[in-house]
Amino acid sequence: MSRRYDSRTTIFSPEGRLYQVEYAMEAIGNAGSAIGILATDGVVLVGEKKVTSKLLQTSKSTEKMYKIDDHVSCAVAGIMSDANILINTARLQAQRYAYAYQEPIPVEQLVQSLCDTKQGYTQFGGLRPFGVSFLFAGWDRSYGFQLYVSDPSGNYGGWKAAAIGANNQAAQSMLKQDYKEDMTREEAVKLALKVLSKTMDSTSLTADKLELAEICLAPSGEVKYQVCTPEALSTHLVQAGVTQPAAEV
Amino acid sequence: MSIFEYNGSALVAMVGKNCFAIASDRRLGVQLQTVATDFQRVFKIHDRLYIGLSGLATDAQTMYQKLVFRHKLYQLREERDMKPQTFASLVSALLYEKRFGPFFCQPVIAGLGDNDEPFICTMDCLGAKELAKDFVVSGTASESLYGACESMYKPDMEPEELFETISQALLSSVDRDCLSGWGGYVLLVTPTEVQEKILKGRMD
Repeated sequence: MSRRYDSRTTIFSPEGRLYQVEYAMEAIGNAGSAIGILATDGVVLVGEKKVTSKLLQTSKSTEKMYKIDDHVSCAVAGIMSDANILINTARLQAQRYAYAYQEPIPVEQLVQSLCDTKQGYTQFGGLRPFGVSFLFAGWDRSYGFQLYVSDPSGNYGGWKAAAIGANNQAAQSMLKQDYKEDMTREEAVKLALKVLSKTMDSTSLTADKLELAEICLAPSGEVKYQVCTPEALSTHLVQAGVTQPAAEV
Repeated sequence: MSIFEYNGSALVAMVGKNCFAIASDRRLGVQLQTVATDFQRVFKIHDRLYIGLSGLATDAQTMYQKLVFRHKLYQLREERDMKPQTFASLVSALLYEKRFGPFFCQPVIAGLGDNDEPFICTMDCLGAKELAKDFVVSGTASESLYGACESMYKPDMEPEELFETISQALLSSVDRDCLSGWGGYVLLVTPTEVQEKILKGRMD
């Protein structure tokens, strides 16, 4: 019945839904998950790498996390090619703001600007929406550390802890139970890894299936975006009780 | 009155042994009136690449802001810093884009490339590159600077000697130019460290 209203993104269905946008969110539900948690001293982003073939050789350092500007980064879930376009757009928007105002773009402004772009694809042009959800993590002088989630409709919200991608509802309810106010980054990493281990399909979690990034403030006041090395990530996994330490022979 | 002589400037960059130095004067004037004595003309692009911009001060600042924009995007996409040669091509292209309504600034670019090889170059306001192995100069004091550098320069100087040479060349040249001077600023870059020094010269 709803077939009649699927073909154009710019048309509402009789029930008042935008089917193309909802189908885009379906596509994201099949993609690798990502979790973001806000801590007192930073933001933690963890992503599940879907393709872990030995033959894969990428030049980019990360598959799920991307730096948008010195003080803002994001984790991605969904169609990677769509994500690349949006990440590039976000980077340009951040630099244009910095050029105009000689100040780093406030995190919410960047998220809003990108969401305005996404919204355009649900209202004009007859083009399909982007099949990507983002977790934006950043710091600015007005509001400190922040975490935002945005989806294909162009809606966004600020969160203390959020999950996107596969099994995100299960992950979100786990986060709701276990999240505590005033978590440190270390505790946030442990929580994120625990939740991810329960919602991921694979039987054992190893460092090569995950990516972990933290946004924090260096003593100099500079915002730092650090991607965890595989060795450090293995240590985190052991500390979180998610994997057994390598057996001594 | 030439637009290039409106604010007054002096810039010089020299190559040493596995190091380079880039120096500028500190005066900002509005024709004959001196308005600032701490004006920055040498800017950092990344740890091993610096650009000095002589000529009209507002164009120097705007050019720098545009270059920061472009370099930041390059760093994000390529996950590495720009090589000096690549950066010089970028500056040249940006200047030529305004071929029929140019930015009134002449850049001096200095950086350490692959294998810590020092790289310097200058270009005119339309982007014509001039690569040099020894020194490059720019600004209202450029003629004096050419003379001073030609006589004082020796190849393969160690950092301390390079610093002395570039400082003397700068100070003696700006003393012959009424539009530049009021002190000097020298940046000495080696593979392991960066030294910034302020020179006290004739404050006139």
